[in-house]
Order: sequence, then C-alpha cells, then structure tokens
Amino acid sequence: MSQDAKKRVTDIGPPHYEKFLPEMVKKNYGKWLYHEILKPGVMVHVAESGDKLFTVRTGNPRLVSIHTIRDMCTLADKYSNGNLRFTSRNNIEFLLTDEANIDPLIADLKAMGFPVGGIGNAISNIVHTQGWVHCHSAATDASGIVKNVMDALCDKFESMSLPGKLRIALACCLNMCGAVHCSDIAILGVHRRPPRINHGILSNICEIPSVVASCPTAAIRPTTVNGKQSVEVNEDQCMFCANCFTVCPAMTLSDPLNDGVSIWVGGKVSNARHEPMFSKLAVPFIPNNPPYWPEVVETVSKLVELWAANAHKYERMGEWIERIGWPRFFELTGIEFQKEHIDDFKHAGLSFKRSAHLRF
Amino acid sequence: MSNTSGKTPKLDKLDKGPWPSFVKEIKRAAEKSPMSKDLLGQLELSYEEKIGHWKHGGIVGVFGYGGGVIGRYSDVPDKFPNVAHFHTMRVNMPSAWFYSTEALRKLCDIWEKHGSGLLNMHGSTGDIIFLGTVTDKLEPIFAELTEAGFDLGGSGSDVRTPSCCVGPARCEWACYDTLNLCYDLTMHYQDELHRPAFPYKFKFKCAGCPNDCVASVARADMSIIGTWKDGIQIDNGAVKEYADKGMNIQKDVCGNCPAKCMEWDGSTMAIDNSLCRRCMHCINVMPKALRPGKERGACIMIGSKAPIVEGALLSSVLVPFMKMEPPYEELKDLVEKMHDIWCEEGKNRERIGEFIQRVGLGNFLEAIEVEPSPYMVEHPRDNPYVFYEEYFEEGDEDEGEEEDE
Amino acid sequence: MADELTAEQVADAMYKMVADAQGQKKLKPMDLQKSMIEYFGGDRCDKKLCKAAIKELIESGRCVYTYFGGSFIELPHEEGAAKG
Repeated sequence: MSQDAKKRVTDIGPPHYEKFLPEMVKKNYGKWLYHEILKPGVMVHVAESGDKLFTVRTGNPRLVSIHTIRDMCTLADKYSNGNLRFTSRNNIEFLLTDEANIDPLIADLKAMGFPVGGIGNAISNIVHTQGWVHCHSAATDASGIVKNVMDALCDKFESMSLPGKLRIALACCLNMCGAVHCSDIAILGVHRRPPRINHGILSNICEIPSVVASCPTAAIRPTTVNGKQSVEVNEDQCMFCANCFTVCPAMTLSDPLNDGVSIWVGGKVSNARHEPMFSKLAVPFIPNNPPYWPEVVETVSKLVELWAANAHKYERMGEWIERIGWPRFFELTGIEFQKEHIDDFKHAGLSFKRSAHLRF
Repeated sequence: MSNTSGKTPKLDKLDKGPWPSFVKEIKRAAEKSPMSKDLLGQLELSYEEKIGHWKHGGIVGVFGYGGGVIGRYSDVPDKFPNVAHFHTMRVNMPSAWFYSTEALRKLCDIWEKHGSGLLNMHGSTGDIIFLGTVTDKLEPIFAELTEAGFDLGGSGSDVRTPSCCVGPARCEWACYDTLNLCYDLTMHYQDELHRPAFPYKFKFKCAGCPNDCVASVARADMSIIGTWKDGIQIDNGAVKEYADKGMNIQKDVCGNCPAKCMEWDGSTMAIDNSLCRRCMHCINVMPKALRPGKERGACIMIGSKAPIVEGALLSSVLVPFMKMEPPYEELKDLVEKMHDIWCEEGKNRERIGEFIQRVGLGNFLEAIEVEPSPYMVEHPRDNPYVFYEEYFEEGDEDEGEEEDE
Repeated sequence: MADELTAEQVADAMYKMVADAQGQKKLKPMDLQKSMIEYFGGDRCDKKLCKAAIKELIESGRCVYTYFGGSFIELPHEEGAAKG
C-alpha cells in the first residue's frame, strides 16, 4: 500500500448534522410545541413560532439500490426542498413545508410502489439483518421473510387500525445484530445442529484456547484428531449459540435441514405504560421454506390478528398477554406449549410461575 | 425491467407484492453491476439449498483503521466470481439520519463507481452500509468519502457508531439535544471508534425521552434517555379539547397511567408528580395538552446487549438524572472511568453489561466512583449471601471511627 | 531520571511481541499495553504512550488490525477466507 501520494485524511467523523437540517427545523430547533397525525403516514409538527412541518413517511426495503435512493432524491427535490431523513426503523421521511405537496408526493410514492404509513397505531417497518444476502452465520434469510410478512401486513402499515403500536423485528441468528429481543413480535433465525468441525484446518486457522473459552456452557474441549490438534463438542451441552463459529470459522452450524426460525412475542423498548420487556418464546421452530415462508407469515399474521381483536386500546402485545396470562395466550393461539418454552439457561428459575395467581 | 441472464425463479416470486421488494432493488443494481448480478445468483442458490454462502473475513480494512470494513467472501466463487470478494463498508451517518439530496447523491456516485450499487439505509447500529466491494477499492472509496465529508463507522471491539433519535430537530418531547450529544460523542471518540482497543464493542444510543425511539435500553452499552425532574406541564384547555373531541380521558389516559397518579374531573387535570414514573403515556396520547417538565436532562443507563455471549440484557440505571449540556464533561468523565476498569479487567468478548454481572454492580460502582443509590435497583437484594470485604479483629474498634473523614 | 521513552521504542517492543506470538496467540491492544507498562515500568510507560505506539505500529504498516470475534493486532497476512 503506497502512502506517499497525498496526505490521507482520517478521523473527520460524520458531517455535522446542521448541514442537513431543513431551514424550518433550524429555525424551530427545540421549539416544537406539539404534533398531530393527519392521516396514515402523515403528521404535522407545530412550533412555538406557529410554523408547521409536515412529515410523510414511506416504507423502505432497507436493502436498496443507488437508483432508488436517487429516485427518492428526485422526489425530495420536487416536494420537500431537498430534505429527507431516515428513521430508526428504516422508513424514509420527507419533510415538507407546503401542505399542498403532501398528496402529490404520496401519489408519486405509490406509483413507485412505496407505501405510505407506519405512524401511530400501525405496524412500522421490520427492523432486520442481512440474512443469506450478506451474512456468514445466517440461519435464515432476512429480506425474504420481511418481504413476505410485510406483503401480508402492508394494510396495517398503511392504516391506523390496530389497538396500539406493533413493532416486528427479525434477526437471522442468535447473534441478533438486529437486537430483536425487545419486539412485539421477533422472528429469529435458529440453528439446531451442533457445530460440524473441520478438523483438517481448525488448528491452522483458529486458536484452540480461544475456541474452548468461547463456549458459554463449557461444551468444547481440546482433543487430537488424526494426529492434528482440534476440539470436540459435548453435543448434549450445545445450545446452538454459534459463539464458537464467530471465533473459529472451522465450526459450522449452518445446516439446511436443521436451520429455521423461531417466533418471540411481547417485548417492548418504550417506557410508555409498562416498563421495557424482553420478547418471550412463542414458537420454537419453523423450518425454512423459501421463497414464501408461508408458515412464518401465517403464524405472524395470526398473532397480529389475535392481538388486534383482543387487546385494549394502546395495549402492546406484551401488555395484552400479561393481562390475559400465558395459558390463555397459548389457548387462543393454538400454539402447543412444549419443553422448549421453559427456560433452562442462567436465572431460568426467575421465569417459573412462583405464585398461585392463576386464571382459569 | 431487464434482469440478469442467470435464471432466478425463486427470487422472481418476491419482486411483486405491495411491500417494496429487495429483489427488485438487487435487479435494478444488477443492470449495471456484475457484482449485484452475481449476488442475485448466489442468493437464488441459497433459496434453493436453504443455506448461506458467505465466509467472514477478518483482516481487510482501510489503512490505519481497525473498524469500518467487514470482510466477506463467497464460498462458491467459481460459480459467482464477481462476488468472490464482497466486503461491507460502514459509513458513519449524520445525526438522526438527516440528509440533503446533494449529499445522498454524492454517496450514490461514489458507490456506483466503486461498489455493487447496493446499500442498506441503514444498518442495525445506524451506519450507512455499502454492501459489496473488493479490497483494492477500499482506499479509493475512503479517499472519496473523506473528500465528501464522510468517514467510516465502527466495527470490531471499538466504540460503535453512536446513534440518536430525531430529538429537538422535530420532536416536542426531546429532553436534551440528542443530535448534538450524538455528534459530540462521535467526534470525541474518533480514535476509539476507528482503532479498536476494548474487550468488545461499546455502543452509545441517545434517546430524547422515555419513548426511546432508538431502542437504547435494549441495544446500547450506554443508553442516554431523556427525562425531566419537575412536573408535567399541563394545558387544561387543551385537555378539555381532547375530551370534547371524544377522548375518554379517565379511561384512556388516567386508566393507563402505571402510577395511577392522575385525575381528571372534567375540567382540571391533576397529577401527583412525586408518583409519576415519567413513562410518557399520557403525554403520547395528548401531545397538545401535556408536555414533559422544564427541568430536563437524561437518565444514564448501562449494559444492554443482544444474547451473545452470556444472554441478553437490558440497560439498568447508573445515574437517574444528569444535566445534558455541552461539553458533556460529567458524562465523558464517567465513560472514561467505565472504560478504564472494563479495559483493565474485562475478558475478551465481554460486553460491559456482562462484565458488571460478573464483578457485581457494587464493585463496579466503587471502581468508577459512583455512590450506590436505590434508583439503581428494582429492589434491594433478597439473598443474604453478602460478600463483605473486611472484618474486625479484637482490638481494632478504632478503625471504624476513622471512616467519618 | 531514566532517558525519555519514545512511542517508536514502545512500538518496536510491541512489534517483537506480536511477531513472537504470531500463530500462537492473537494479541489484543490491551494485552500489548499491559505488557509494555510491565516491561518498561509504569513510571516510563503509560496508557497514552502505548496508544501512540499502537498507532505508530499500524500506520507504519508493520502490523494490522484483525477481527475474529474480537479485535486483535497481528502481522499482515492473507486471510484464510480469501483463498477460495
């Protein structure tokens, strides 16, 4: 690598955000009074000055081409003075100062195939990971399942017909780059076959002590196979976390027959009403069935419908389940309660029912 | 739309439907990019075989940095030579993901010239993710990015790219300037962000209020969540307006209050702020009538993470209330002490939350010189096995008295 | 007082340590820092100097950052995954 050309610039950080703030935002920064949701996907923020900023929110597949980004730029130039932003759930927001531009923008977005919504008591975009598109440890594809689930639930993105907010997230393995563990519904890729060890190359590419140390259940031990140093796995102790694979590529867990997804419910991050909660296991395993993953779509849709039909106003999935109790949840969903539903890792006892408060 | 010459019958099924299609996006990029064309082919293979075809790299990067580039290699390079090397670059996004179209177009131009033309807007941590380029292109991309005013984000055992909610830019609930703090932390920790020196990753997320739109409580080693100390601001006229428009104030607002600290008699809203838990529900439901108080700052929470390695954690309270004003010295001092002890004693791949679980929050507090407080716990311990560190011998009663100093 | 220790000298010692460990054990920046402070003594070598030395070590091209579930400092080499 020749470095003698011109001096490299490093550590400049991101551009200062002020460069990208719309004029109206700069003027009313920190001086917003209130907001109102005007219709699905559209809200207005009113400032102390009386200024009104209109937001139009559209879905986004997250995995996008530069051509689509340029199309969005064309719309922003046409309708929102070249201003747009992305949300923490990968939606795109156009920030308009002229109310008259709202409907033409929505018409253009819809013509491009981009739904408008995701605000208020609606489903928002599904936060997700790379899956088979770009990840080495994926137990499922992320974009494909998300596309199918959102196709099925798109009307709930484009309307505000739900009792409360619904946040779905997908992570394609237990590493959870998507940190899905606090979602109303989490779709999580799982491996179910212990690592297959490539003894021929393991000691060349991995440090054996690090591999041994990587296992949270101490299931990995050093050994010698055909005269080569390697490791062995006590398969009874393997919980398929894939931590060893992260440290050592010679321990593959991916397996077409045994990989699939699990479904988790009732988590939230917001503090509104109930404190933040982890999602809990609803369905331990559904096999991968590309390209439509119909069993996953059906399960998620059913959970959404049940919650929508039974929850009180504002009640999130987890709050609803807490009110009716888990036995009733399993009864209503028809999901079979199995051994896998009972925690057996650290602190497992904390999730046992430790009272006689039982609803029959 | 034209597509690739290789057949992709399974993926073709996903380029229809009401939700925007990632397959359509890959095909669009593939019109110009052979890499994207092979990506589509390899993904089709995964859909046929139900298994991924990527290998993780661990060395490629831009010169001098230890983060920002993720090496990725196909395990079927003979079939798809254009994605044999297909690395990811993480580009540090601007605070709260605001862009000008000019800046976005510039990023697209750079990525069209040097990469697959596919990107994630955005990655899980918040960066702009450039998906797919080769080792030789990393330096040219980096040079053009810095010329355009952008830099790489974090990866590996470093400070990860901090992120924040929309904050005071467009939200009336922001209890501090999340965009400014996010930018300030990002700039302050440039070295720690680009040159990994920690036991494992460290994430900052700045949320303006307890609604926590950036999921900081679940996803950040340090969750900085805006809150207020004084009472909720009430506009009774506006409450009445909501009531007149049909809102059932008693049921929808007061009935959902977790503290049961509010009352509405038809004309006046009364809140016992000493019991209010700052949950945001009533404010969320009536944004025109109720607002967070005026004495604003943030609650500093630590330790959340996804399951890998020892199980998932939520952040827990470290400092219940801290004023959040530039240059944020109190916060940075605290972070430095936390990093010191964690770097000194943390194990490889041990997040700070797991470290605290291992050494005990009490010991951790001693190390960072923070006094224990009941705000930090759900309840005091209910197990009697206390690790007392000292005991007295006959004759050294005096020892106790000196501690008054 | 002992002569002033420079970042270059620390970098040289770090390089030797990395070279000796290559193939045996992957070292983290913190491993290098702790060893250097022990080797040169806390009065001559501190955290800041080690940080500068690591920067020097990387920017001279003698070592590179690597990632295998955690970040390490190693001698430059072609990575296994790139070999097809």
